[in-house]
Amino acid sequence: MRGITKTFPGVKALSDVNFQVDYGRVHAIVGENGAGKSTLMKILSGIYLPTSGTTEIAGTEVRMRKPADAQRHGIRMVHQELNLAPDLSVAENVYLGRMPRRLGLANRAAMISGARAILSEIGATIDPAARLGDLSISQQQLVEIAKAYAASPRIIVLDEPTSSLSEHEAAALFRILGKMKAAGIAIIYISHRLKEVLDIADDVTILRDGAMIETRPAEGITAAEMIRLMVGREVANVFPKVQSEIGAPVMKVTGLGDGDSFDNVSFDVRAGEILGLTGLVGAGRTEVAKAIFGLLPVAKGTLEINGKAVTITSPAAAVEAGIVYVPEDRKGEGIVPAMSVRENISLPVLKHLSRLGYVSLKADKALAAKYAADLGIAPPDPERRINLLSGGNQQKAVLSKWLAANPSVLILDEPTRGVDVGAKAEIHRIIGELVAQGMAVVMISSELPEVLGVCDRVVVMRDGHASPPLDRAELSEERIMALATGEETA
Amino acid sequence: MSSASEPAQGTGSRFQRNSAMLELLSKAGLGLAILVVILYGALSSPVFFTTGNMVNILTSMAIVGIVVVGMTFVLVVGGLADLSVPATIACGAILSLALQPSIGAVPAFALAIALAGFCGLISGLLVGYVGINPIIATLGVGTIVLGIVQAAVGGVIVYGTNPASADFVKSRVFGIPTIVLIFLVVTLVGHFVLGRTTWGRWTFATGSNANAAKASAVPVRAVKAGAFVITGLCAGLSGGLLGLTLQSARPLVGTGYEFSAITAVVVGGVSIMGGFGSVPRAIVGLIFVSVLTNVMVLEGVRTPTQGFVLGLLIAVAVAADVALRRRGVA
Repeated sequence: MRGITKTFPGVKALSDVNFQVDYGRVHAIVGENGAGKSTLMKILSGIYLPTSGTTEIAGTEVRMRKPADAQRHGIRMVHQELNLAPDLSVAENVYLGRMPRRLGLANRAAMISGARAILSEIGATIDPAARLGDLSISQQQLVEIAKAYAASPRIIVLDEPTSSLSEHEAAALFRILGKMKAAGIAIIYISHRLKEVLDIADDVTILRDGAMIETRPAEGITAAEMIRLMVGREVANVFPKVQSEIGAPVMKVTGLGDGDSFDNVSFDVRAGEILGLTGLVGAGRTEVAKAIFGLLPVAKGTLEINGKAVTITSPAAAVEAGIVYVPEDRKGEGIVPAMSVRENISLPVLKHLSRLGYVSLKADKALAAKYAADLGIAPPDPERRINLLSGGNQQKAVLSKWLAANPSVLILDEPTRGVDVGAKAEIHRIIGELVAQGMAVVMISSELPEVLGVCDRVVVMRDGHASPPLDRAELSEERIMALATGEETA
Repeated sequence: MSSASEPAQGTGSRFQRNSAMLELLSKAGLGLAILVVILYGALSSPVFFTTGNMVNILTSMAIVGIVVVGMTFVLVVGGLADLSVPATIACGAILSLALQPSIGAVPAFALAIALAGFCGLISGLLVGYVGINPIIATLGVGTIVLGIVQAAVGGVIVYGTNPASADFVKSRVFGIPTIVLIFLVVTLVGHFVLGRTTWGRWTFATGSNANAAKASAVPVRAVKAGAFVITGLCAGLSGGLLGLTLQSARPLVGTGYEFSAITAVVVGGVSIMGGFGSVPRAIVGLIFVSVLTNVMVLEGVRTPTQGFVLGLLIAVAVAADVALRRRGVA
């Protein structure tokens, strides 16, 4: 396999990436969230079509228009989120889509014995006749790998395969990878865990902002060096910091845990302050925010608003307590698409606009008009259906909805993801104005320049645990990345 | 990636004009269709435009119409359909007659409606709080309720014992049957609640995007459950009126009303996927179906053919809903 070149222009895409992996080697790809790792692999496995660029396998150019094409060329991908059927047996999953047949019917016996052979070959002790859904997540992960391996691939792509594995299980996986490697399979390994990468990779490619930074042998590279290459971009002050007076703590979270995705999270946020909440995708940031807002259950820990303990079990209670949350998934949780901008804005505060349940259209319209003008929603027509607006303007409408609730704590989850540069600057300006008025803001963001540019203090999350709030003066992109990947513990 | 999913602002003039035409069609199309059917009925049948026939249409509309108002809430909230309607109608009809000797006509009527509403509450709790698919939940609750009602009255036909109540439902005010007036009041109240109140706004938000509604502090589960309570109350009222009109009620008295109601609501352009529609729209759908059925009956169209036509109507209405949604009109 020689010389993959892909050009993929546009927002957050890949630009002119060259990538090469050799048979019998483990090639790791590292980079920040959104650096383009997954996009590159999706092109390789035929899920996305590249805008331009070519893929060659063993010197011959191949075109992959759909996943089946990639599979025919011996490329198999093990996704981060498992693609298995829980109600089928392990063996059926291993042979999913290409079951051995006899007289047109699935040959169950051949499937079971074949699956048993493959599982033992990769060193997994799993009963091929067991129902997949009864296995632990890590065992399912191994089945997923067995499934890829059973297809006798030439290239296998693993996307964060250890994210759900314990250290012991990960070690077993590495032994399996070693066997595959010895069998001459080319292995592409995507991981945020830099230590792992150093342990098992032969080559490392660093991606940043959709561009390939460097490929070099893993030998001789250090974690610190990788981090530097992952984040090292020109520092331009694209995020002017609004100076505001920081007052007393407004919200204090102590020992918050949900018994699953995060534990013992503690921080406080003060009036007039922007507290950044960052970390890698899956570190538990969104879960913490949703738990505070009452969308997800809390198992332990306390929450104080202005020094008073509050218990929040529903978003309505959170709004009552003065906490609002602007979700990351704007289409899924932010907007009600069939409603107008006006109806969206007044949704959480409808009770205050009505008497005995009767909505005062006058108050409703006045409220929408005020925020549409204040935040500069375009087009300035509150009666327009919200899903006809651009992403940035939808975001402003969602923001309006929550400002109308008159909160003291505003939690923003990736507020500028997927909006264009202009709208981004405007959203930052609005956030700046809000803290200048004394609001306490918690901003979840994966974009490190944004975090460092606009936040006063930053909490870095990793695997459900949170660092204490760190002052922006103590922080650099490298340090945040080190905390997020576990290279440094705070 | 994001730019592709965002509608462009300046380039959509042709698209928007197209939308405007579609929107007009989606609003006025049914009205035109009603006019055509009325015109055809007037020309083809000498009976059609008589007072007797008009009252006939209105009366038959009224009983289904009350259920249609409730069913509109269920569809708008994204609750698919309430299939327990035959049972709740039976509950209303049988109890309002069976309880007359023991507690009197008016309390019997009120209790019948309340119990039907309670059945709706159970369906609502199952759908809203437990998260069971509405079709399954209402089918199950309906079957159980029908069984209980049947057992309670011994599986026989129940007859009315209070002539005054029978006279009341048969009375007319300025020539308009009382039942039709009750139907009009229910329609107006339903329209007011859905169109102008907090609850109505919540109903739309829940139907259009339940997750966003939930994240906007809307009590999504209660709103979902509420739609089924409303339908239960409406069906109970409808059943009570039906029982008093007939002065007799069998357990299967409500059979078929659920489909008549769903047909009217869907033909009226209320989205089966939730989040879009209104009570007047559903009633216009009902008028169309009622007038069309009446004309077919007058023309002597055979029953199987009538069913075929109504089925076709539902298919066309749902297809139009999907198509309009895709264009972002409905």
